[in-house]
Amino acid sequence: MSIAICLLLYAASVCVVAPRLLPPLTSRGSAPLAAVAVWLIVLVSVLASWAAAAGSFIAYVALTWTRPDPPAMGACFAALRSAAAGQHGVRTQIGLWLMAMVVGGVTVALAARIGRSLLRARASSRRHSRSAHIIGRRVAGVDGLVLDAPQKMAYCLGGRPTTIVITTAAIATLEPPHIDAVLAHERAHLAGRHHLLLAATRALAASLPRVRLFTVAETEIAGLLEMCADDTAARRHGAAALLAAILALACPDPIPSAALGANTVGVCARVTRLTDPDTAAARIRARFLLAAVTVAIVFGPLVVWAAVHSLSPFGLTPCGPF
Amino acid sequence: MARGFGDLEAVVMDRLWDRDGATTVREIFEDMLREREIAYTTVMSTMDNLHHKGWLSRERDGKAYLYWPTMTREQHGAALMREALDAGGQSDRVLAHFLDQISDDESKALRRVLRRLGSKRARSGKGAR
Repeated sequence: MSIAICLLLYAASVCVVAPRLLPPLTSRGSAPLAAVAVWLIVLVSVLASWAAAAGSFIAYVALTWTRPDPPAMGACFAALRSAAAGQHGVRTQIGLWLMAMVVGGVTVALAARIGRSLLRARASSRRHSRSAHIIGRRVAGVDGLVLDAPQKMAYCLGGRPTTIVITTAAIATLEPPHIDAVLAHERAHLAGRHHLLLAATRALAASLPRVRLFTVAETEIAGLLEMCADDTAARRHGAAALLAAILALACPDPIPSAALGANTVGVCARVTRLTDPDTAAARIRARFLLAAVTVAIVFGPLVVWAAVHSLSPFGLTPCGPF
Repeated sequence: MARGFGDLEAVVMDRLWDRDGATTVREIFEDMLREREIAYTTVMSTMDNLHHKGWLSRERDGKAYLYWPTMTREQHGAALMREALDAGGQSDRVLAHFLDQISDDESKALRRVLRRLGSKRARSGKGAR
């Protein structure tokens, strides 16, 4: 029981701290790949804590039901067990059982919501991809499907077959080396399986829009993945070509904000780091900071757990109310 | 570019979009035979699939069907673009845009960044790496 409470407290504090602490460290994109890894570690540790907390709570209530007198493990366990076993009255017992059922139900519903969202995303990407393969033209020298459209756009879709789409308007605006840089950027997305990460973070943010950690993580990870793809494209075709492509596609005729989605990936941050790249020292510093934060987030709870355990022999149990 | 099972559908649609009016499977088959080895039944089943997926309309004409595209390539392209633009937001589709369409504010911010970088470079007296 105390484990469940500790896990929930841990997850709650990560949910509060991470979306405030991490963006200033990661959004500059000094070490985009490491930053993506840190965000993923944070997301996974919160989800795992929730699942473990729900699991241990339900297991605890079930165990005390079937085994009226399990070996004593501490004052609060004994207190709770007596409550669950009916010594505090039937009402408390029923309350605990209802709580366990609600916790189980919420966990299953959340998992189902995320799963549905992922399946929907996959189905609609696949549909879009198939249409693009029929509508798009194959043009010599362009490693992608060319779509007749007045919008200057390039994008990619994962799944099978993978798809890169570039519009005729974008091709008309860009010079050939710049087109290569754009396509290399999209290929980097596909090769890095970025669409899977995007799908996962989007499903999470869409399923739990109130949890700020997930919405912030979605935006930040999307931006960082753009930077990762930028780096790959810049290595192959030069930062200058990529920068020229970004500017050519971004500048002259912006679409009104109303037509846009909620998350626009910071173009300014991308341009800044391409024109004014970090020094090696800054990159190492960024990696070091990220590693420190990760260690604090992942091992912090272990330290707390160890501290609690070393105190409990002296009669200090973490759940006073019981 | 990956070419797979959908490729044949693309080739058939290409030919139908290039023609005006309704066409029989036979005409498309003979047209395609000039460029590749292909069986009549393959073309027929491809066009039948395209009909069921909503790409082609058809009407019986004697023993054969007459097929024609339900929409022009341009109309399909416009619909696809609408989907792709929408996908930046709450849509279920997962696409990675090279660049999200940027707003007026972002465009202004971008120009500011470029100006700042330009003046910084001028001060330091050399270009970026």
